[in-house]
Amino acid sequence: MKMMLPRSALFVGLLLLLAGCDRPPAPQPPSAAEIAAQAKQSRLAVPAHGIYMGAYADFGDREDDVTLEKIEAFEGLAGKHQAILASSSYWGEQSFPTANLKIIARHNSIPLVFWSPWDRPYKEGVGPDKYSLRRIIAGEHDAYIDRWADAAKEHAAPIMVSFCNEMNGAWFPWSGDHYGGGKVILGTDPPRYEGPEIFKQAWRHVVDRVRARGADNVIWVFHTMDFSMPNDVWNLAAQYYPGADYVDWMGFSLYGIQFVSDHEWAPFFDLIDWPYKELTLLDPTKPIMLCEWGVGEFPKVGDKGAWIRDGFRIMSDETKFPRLKAAVFWHERWQNSADEVDESTKENAGTYSDLRVNSSPGALEAYRKGVASPFLLSEPIWVPKPVK
Amino acid sequence: MRLAIVLGLLVLLAGIVLTVWSVWIHPALRLPASVRELKGQLKTDIAIHPETAPNRNADKWKSYLDKSRSVQARIAQMRAVTGKTPVRPAGEVRLGFYSDNDPNALASLNEHAGQLTHLAPEWLSVVGAEGRLVSAGDPALVEYCTARGIAVIPVLRNMQGDQWQPEAVENLARGPAENRARFVRELAAKLAELKVAGVMIEFDQIDPAYREEFTALLTEIGAALHKAGREIWLCVSLGDQLDSLDLESLSDETDRFVALMYDENSDSDAPGPIASREWFEGWLQVVENYGDNDQWIAVLGAFAYDWNRKENRAETITFRDAMSRASYAGVDRASGVPVGPPEYNGRYNYSEPNGEHSVTFLDAVSFYNQVRMVRATKLGGIGVNRLGSEDPQIWDVLEMKNVPGGKALAALGRMRADATVTHIGRGEIVSVNDSMDDGTRKVSMDADGQMRAHYTDFPTFPVLYHQGGTEPHKVSITFDDGPDPVWTPKILDVLKARGVKAAFFIVGNNGEFNPGLVQRIVAEGHEIGNHTYTHANLAKVSRTRMRLELDATERLIESLTGRSTTLFRPPYNADSTPSRLEELVPLKFAESDEMGYTVVLEKVDPQDWSRPGANVILQRVKDQRKDGNIVLLHDAGGDRSQTVEALPKIIDWLQARGDEIVPIGELLNIPRDELMPLVSASTEWGFWRMVSSTAFPISRRTVEFFWAFMIAATVLTVARTLLVIGLASRHHARTKAEPDPAFVARAPAVSVLIAAYNEGKVIENTLRAVVDTDYPGEIEFIVVDDGSKDDTAEAVLRFMKAQPRVKLVQQANAGKSTALGNAIAHAKHEVLVFLDADTHFERQTIRALVERLDDPKVAAVSGHARVGNRRNFVTHCQCLEYVCGFNLDRRAYSEWNCITVVPGAVSAIRRSALDEAGGFSHDTLAEDTDLTLTFHRLGYRMDYSPEAVAWTEAPETWRGLAKQRFRWCFGTMQCLWKHRDMTFNPRYRALGWFSLPGIWFFQVLLVALVPLVDLVLVFSIVTGSAMGIWHYFAVFLALDLVLAALACWMEEEPIARALLIIPMRFVYRWLLAWVVWKSIFRIMKGALVGWGKLDRTATVGTTP
Repeated sequence: MKMMLPRSALFVGLLLLLAGCDRPPAPQPPSAAEIAAQAKQSRLAVPAHGIYMGAYADFGDREDDVTLEKIEAFEGLAGKHQAILASSSYWGEQSFPTANLKIIARHNSIPLVFWSPWDRPYKEGVGPDKYSLRRIIAGEHDAYIDRWADAAKEHAAPIMVSFCNEMNGAWFPWSGDHYGGGKVILGTDPPRYEGPEIFKQAWRHVVDRVRARGADNVIWVFHTMDFSMPNDVWNLAAQYYPGADYVDWMGFSLYGIQFVSDHEWAPFFDLIDWPYKELTLLDPTKPIMLCEWGVGEFPKVGDKGAWIRDGFRIMSDETKFPRLKAAVFWHERWQNSADEVDESTKENAGTYSDLRVNSSPGALEAYRKGVASPFLLSEPIWVPKPVK
Repeated sequence: MRLAIVLGLLVLLAGIVLTVWSVWIHPALRLPASVRELKGQLKTDIAIHPETAPNRNADKWKSYLDKSRSVQARIAQMRAVTGKTPVRPAGEVRLGFYSDNDPNALASLNEHAGQLTHLAPEWLSVVGAEGRLVSAGDPALVEYCTARGIAVIPVLRNMQGDQWQPEAVENLARGPAENRARFVRELAAKLAELKVAGVMIEFDQIDPAYREEFTALLTEIGAALHKAGREIWLCVSLGDQLDSLDLESLSDETDRFVALMYDENSDSDAPGPIASREWFEGWLQVVENYGDNDQWIAVLGAFAYDWNRKENRAETITFRDAMSRASYAGVDRASGVPVGPPEYNGRYNYSEPNGEHSVTFLDAVSFYNQVRMVRATKLGGIGVNRLGSEDPQIWDVLEMKNVPGGKALAALGRMRADATVTHIGRGEIVSVNDSMDDGTRKVSMDADGQMRAHYTDFPTFPVLYHQGGTEPHKVSITFDDGPDPVWTPKILDVLKARGVKAAFFIVGNNGEFNPGLVQRIVAEGHEIGNHTYTHANLAKVSRTRMRLELDATERLIESLTGRSTTLFRPPYNADSTPSRLEELVPLKFAESDEMGYTVVLEKVDPQDWSRPGANVILQRVKDQRKDGNIVLLHDAGGDRSQTVEALPKIIDWLQARGDEIVPIGELLNIPRDELMPLVSASTEWGFWRMVSSTAFPISRRTVEFFWAFMIAATVLTVARTLLVIGLASRHHARTKAEPDPAFVARAPAVSVLIAAYNEGKVIENTLRAVVDTDYPGEIEFIVVDDGSKDDTAEAVLRFMKAQPRVKLVQQANAGKSTALGNAIAHAKHEVLVFLDADTHFERQTIRALVERLDDPKVAAVSGHARVGNRRNFVTHCQCLEYVCGFNLDRRAYSEWNCITVVPGAVSAIRRSALDEAGGFSHDTLAEDTDLTLTFHRLGYRMDYSPEAVAWTEAPETWRGLAKQRFRWCFGTMQCLWKHRDMTFNPRYRALGWFSLPGIWFFQVLLVALVPLVDLVLVFSIVTGSAMGIWHYFAVFLALDLVLAALACWMEEEPIARALLIIPMRFVYRWLLAWVVWKSIFRIMKGALVGWGKLDRTATVGTTP
């Protein structure tokens, strides 16, 4: 290493220069900074045809450790650049994920941020904490919301925000279930239910505040669970829908089986068909996305590769799902802790749920082949921001 | 004139002295205070902080103890069915975990090889969804261990980089059987290739859902290895992993279970004990219940964790690191640090500017307690995780068979410092503290047999303080070895286009030749650092040289940029973290008060100099970025096109991952003007700067001129050599013809003339040879005795009695040309043949000479002089010189009629031409050269007859040779001056444009420069920068050799003789150089030179 330069190199170098055989430099691809700058001037288009491909690329226990290394590792496995990258921003951190969004913007992707009013230690199934919907509505967290909105505005590039996702489930503290659930509000006809109504109030409160700060680059994603739990009338997506003015995209989480205790394989079509229809009925035009989709690796129960193959085939069927415009794959493996399982799922304790794309060679191959279709879009389509 | 020379030399001397002095004076740069701060900012805090989150796993062992109770019974049942009970070798296994890239591990292995039975290097991993085997391996280590009776059992992990890949193993276990078979085959083959004793499986995070499949996989691997006589050992982490392992079934399928008896709190947990007593004892009971006791090896922790409380993630450090950190943080002697109940782990807290730390360390005391428990449980052996990070005294503890007495305890209490380097802080900007101090701990025995200690005085090991690595998203790019005229500008262009500031560690010598680039680097806002003047390995040079290397570069940077620099990077070792005290010496010197540098190492080294391809360079940066935040690239030292290509990609990638690319100063929060102070700020050094700023350009221009000259000289030498080879070969091919029989009829009458001065010893032999000729025509021999003081005349007269054709003419001593003129006056014939009195003709010589005068345009014919007296090195050298210099040249020159000298020693001259030329002149010492040139003026041709061989006697001593050559050289220079109008005169064609300028350049100038070239060569070799000049030197030598070989072949001398050219190059050429210089000086003095005479011996014969 580090030899002294032979003088002859100088001589030869001069000769080469004189001979004029230096080729002109090849045009450089845009730098990361240039890419990020472009996004700041743009809006995200809803593709006329095709579906934006995205992923949650195993960003750690808190879902917020976004690193380029992890993004590139996933893209290396998938063999495709991701138009959307999903990560979380918990209210308990009291921060805006500036660094994460910068990485994603420089990567020429759209961030999907799960913005969750939740406090540490982010344990599921324990009910509302200090970031409860009621406190939000009461304005107790307005200062934080404003700070967050200001930071979002400063980021300038489009951000998809899924606020209070899977509210029609029972595990997160913002579920309608925790706020009176299906209790009918007196004097309403058709009946309105307490849980969903509080949710809608909170949603509108937050969106209004963020918009008031001028963060018009936020794309609001109304994000449900594929099937409500409990699956009662009061808990359906329609009950939670805050209105067309408050929502830009609609979407849902779609999961095949995730635990050893699930002994029956759920076919992809059954999982997408009803929830898709449920959302299309809420609004005639808004684009729909699979905010999360994935399945565990349980070769004794079913073939993950086949499920993924089905998934790509079915979601790409424009005749059936013409408004499906984005799909975010959930790439994660976790261990099911003994203190989070109940008697009925005891067999899950200590086992792993492997939703990673590379959980098996079959799964990986199915994903790579499926995602390679040009119909599945690898880059965001930018359109210029309208001039004010 | 003389005065002018003396004055000039004095001025030159004074300039050199001043320059050297200016280089030596150090401007007393001061290391920015903030760089040193860390040393004073460590503080201990003996109180143990409450853990931020209680460890849920602390008593997990209890649940497994319940589970394990029935295992023994089931194993017994199983054995009753199979009827097999495994037999294991007796004796305690002592296993060391070994990491290849840790120099401390090697040091520990070297020291304690005798105490180990097994070594587990981290060589194998299984990765990818399909379960691919990836392997390293070091045959030398296997050989080393085998020779010492240590069995090598490499570890096989399901790990890629620093990530566990459970899928790799799970897919093997649950996937198709042919995949498993393939993997087992590959593994068995790899182990055979490595010649190791077996494999240690360490699979982690396996889903217990695949317990059965996993067990089957291990059984399959075990069966294959056992068939080949190898062992399979299985690592068992204490905890959930027990669920994914069916140890009952595996008990008889694997040779050893290896319990990893540490990580009660792992590096990703909150701070706490690594292996507390209760935890250790609990798990020991669990382990005891699975399988046979002697199947188990208990691996004991021999390391420390340092948790930065901000991050809740620990850095794994060595025991020595833990000691140094405690020592520098200043532990309060009174309270000290206990290793005692209930945990028996050492724990302390300290703080530094970047955060609060909690340290837990395991030492010889915890090791004693654990070994005692393991031995009491009668397990199969003990492991050490890992070599190099342990308390050195665990090795004494390992040998303790009984409860240690007071003496042994006292010995354990004395902790000796050694030269192992320890580390504090984070980042690659380092400073050194090389002080070493022994420490003490009070060691005693508790009533229950546990050992305890109280640390009162921590030992201090040499410390490398690391700084600049605390901000996770700041990174610096650095370039070493430049500037380079081709690559540095391209790199600067890229940096400019991307708006990135970098640091350039320049080699002074390269800076000297690219002053504009040094200025551009600074002008464009980059940092400049000192990388020594000649890229010297400072670990291997004297202190004086170190200083000179740094100061000369500093002066250069100052004189070019108006700024000093406090940044320094040592050549060669920047990419390996120093581990031994010796490696710290140059760092210590550079950062000393006297020198005042900030030492910048690096951790991200994509080895761009090895040209692995731009994408590989980028990939290596990606892989290593997590290890550090200073990237090393090179802007010189060869073709850096890949670096230039990779650089924008690296910048993009770093920025894309959220990094801010900053100069070094920003990593340290030191302003540019403090890191690179403006020199105008300190005027007291102004005079010295003026001196150095004048001296550097002068020396640069001188050296530049030297190189330009070397290049030109090489080109000209090559051209001339090729031309001479071509012409001589043509001549050789043409003159193979037989003598013309018709010549007998027209042979002219010939006068043979000999001038003799003090030739009494040899004249008779000379005459005897010359008269024995086959010349067919009339012939007379005339000897002129130039007033000899010896018996020359008598000898000739004696000879004349038998040979009446010989005449003697006597004259008073008047010089050689007068003597020859006298001889001519007595000669009767038109054709004159000249020979020296010491030269022996062969029979055909006269005829061969005269034949060539057939052509009336030919005025003179040169014979073929060869050395007759080849008796020592001096004459052998001359022989080769005659062969490949004079004769080959003459052959070539005769082709183009540009012979510069028809030598008096053997020649034939047409008398009419001689008269026309005015006879021999007397105004030069080389009358033959003078005459030859005059003939050229008159338009005559000169010819060369290779058959006209004459054996001449060459001087046999260096002194004699020098004297002769001085005469020739001086005479030749006189002639060149006298006939200077012929040089580059188109009228004389090849003579004016080829052979005469050739004499000036190749025989005067180049020979005169031989000492200079050789001195530069020697200097270059001494300073290690010889790469450049070697090329030229080799070219010259090769050309000489080729030419000599060709000449030997033409002259039918043995080709091997040509090899003599190599020693000649070093000895003979120096003599010639001396002669040339002496001639030059003599000419300058304008003095006349007398008739130099050779001492004669009478040894030359007619045949060699």
